[in-house]
Amino acid sequence: MGLGLRHFTDRVQEGECAGQPLLDSENGEELLHVQQRVVIVLGNLPPESPGTLFISSKQVVWLSDVDVEKGYAVDFLSISLHAVSRDPEAYPSPCIYTQIETQGGEDEELEDSDSEASEHFDLSKITEMRLVPSDPSQLDTLFNVFCECAELNPEPHDELDDEHEWIFGPDQVLGDVMDAETEEGPDWPIYENPANTIGYANGEHDLAHSVLELQIDDQRFEDAEETDQGAHGAHR
Amino acid sequence: MLFFSYFKELVGKEVTVELKNDLAIRGILHSVDQYLNIKLENTRVVDQDKYPHMLSVRNCFIRGSVVRYVQLPPDGVDIDILHDATRREARGG
Repeated sequence: MGLGLRHFTDRVQEGECAGQPLLDSENGEELLHVQQRVVIVLGNLPPESPGTLFISSKQVVWLSDVDVEKGYAVDFLSISLHAVSRDPEAYPSPCIYTQIETQGGEDEELEDSDSEASEHFDLSKITEMRLVPSDPSQLDTLFNVFCECAELNPEPHDELDDEHEWIFGPDQVLGDVMDAETEEGPDWPIYENPANTIGYANGEHDLAHSVLELQIDDQRFEDAEETDQGAHGAHR
Repeated sequence: MLFFSYFKELVGKEVTVELKNDLAIRGILHSVDQYLNIKLENTRVVDQDKYPHMLSVRNCFIRGSVVRYVQLPPDGVDIDILHDATRREARGG
């Protein structure tokens, strides 16, 4: 499912839930909060006539009380930020202010030129949404519901883990190469073949040493080449 | 988990959170969760000229995935603890 706001018209037709948004209950979507008499304000567009706000475990749905064909929804995954706005300079009515992540990246503000065509505005480009409850004392409750639901909806692909794979994979390989190059002297081959330490310590120095050196060179060469290939492979 | 633990130490201090859309918000760090979602209190927008309509709001919830930087208070940075923590992370990870 894409980012940003979208139109929402799927209402439950009958039964005790009639008029509520049709949710994806098969996939565990639950209705968590209902707030009546909420005005929605999209971007710089004029406020819409009041509706009802339905907050589910996946999304925020606003349905018009007047026009059954009118409704909007946005996934919590697309809500970058939400806040309680009570400052009349920021907006005349106390409201929940949200910023919405859109598909395009660059946000093209809906300026006055668009407002005359407000019936045909591009919903997917709206980057701000205000929700104005008729009862401002509900703002803190709404804010907290938004917080809880945001936490229910972490990023579907854990980007952090992906990055770790990418960055640490090659790094560790490089680290091994560096270890092989910097760990010079007797330490390294001693690990490989402890028996040699005796010869080394006993004074057959020249012979033991040249043998060791040979081993160092061989193994360092092999190791570096192998890991180099590994690193290239990881980049492809 | 390193950043999560680290940010938890900063609760109650003033930080500036810069979002990927360039908006920067300063406020008192109220809480942080495992996804690095950040709750700020007493917030204000840093560049008010650029974002005139934006919020002088009391509290604000920022989704962790839209955060670009968090600017820390100088006295909130304990270099020794960070050194230890990063070493531990490197070993254990």
